[in-house]
Amino acid sequence: MVPPRSAPRTAKRTSTAHDLREAFDSLYRDHVDLMYRYASRLCGETEAAKDLVQETFLNAYRGFKQFRGEAQVSTWLYTIASRACLRMRRRQKGAPQRELSLEELVPTTDGEFHLQIPVDDLSPEEALQNKQLRQALNDAIDRLPPKYKMVLVLRDMEGLSAKEVGTVMGLNERAVKSRLHRARLFVRRELSRQGLAGSSPSQRADTDSE
Amino acid sequence: MTKRQIPHHPSRATTKPQRHRSAHCLRILRALSAFIDDELPRQICQEIRQHLGACPRCEEFVASLRQTVSLCRHSPAPVLSPDDRALMREKILAAIRQ
Ligand SMILES: [Zn+2]
Repeated sequence: MVPPRSAPRTAKRTSTAHDLREAFDSLYRDHVDLMYRYASRLCGETEAAKDLVQETFLNAYRGFKQFRGEAQVSTWLYTIASRACLRMRRRQKGAPQRELSLEELVPTTDGEFHLQIPVDDLSPEEALQNKQLRQALNDAIDRLPPKYKMVLVLRDMEGLSAKEVGTVMGLNERAVKSRLHRARLFVRRELSRQGLAGSSPSQRADTDSE
Repeated sequence: MTKRQIPHHPSRATTKPQRHRSAHCLRILRALSAFIDDELPRQICQEIRQHLGACPRCEEFVASLRQTVSLCRHSPAPVLSPDDRALMREKILAAIRQ
């Protein structure tokens, strides 16, 4: 964890504070949207997501001097946000932290091999116009144990490489890929199990119209 | 190409349909994320493709996994309103001043 820093007690204090403030402003301006997107994918579009963003930038400000620029700024912020999220989660209730086994994620009945959702001949963008599908997807991701959820969000939603996800979460690439696979299998299973009322042809026409 | 690279199952024919959850199917399922992310050596990819061609359930499974990943990738990004952006900045600066 980043220790809070007090401003240096030197003649340069004022200019240092000024520089810090300027650096903070540009950091915030350039990355707040990215961090809000990440936070709301982790916490939902709620006050908790905003709290997480604030916590992230506050910690970033306090840790400015630790940032040496050898990592991308965004990777550094993702790291701060991920740690803050895990800290905040301990105080909230959410999906429990547990291991996912491959065994439980492999389908055993005929119906579980495909998705019960109307995506087959639609582009993902078109499919996602179906509100029920978006809801089912968000619910499935939400039910992931936190450490799997974070890997899936960073890799498949935020678009980080497996290596970058490893840097953010302090994991090796192999562990990232193993968690990612289980997370994807979990979401796939949830989507295939649940089915959707909207998978009927009439509902499907709604999303296709225009 | 007849040589198969996935070890431990040299006697299983990949060209005829198999009961799902056969050991071979399970080996394939374990590798599917790496497969769809294009991270596997070419030889193994080819072998998996051969199996998929012969095993409808694995084929269906990989399609559903691809769809799942594709939905995640295209899931709409939540957007912060300008008001919230400004308000949060004020809150952070206030916390910094404390
Ligand atoms: Zn199979």
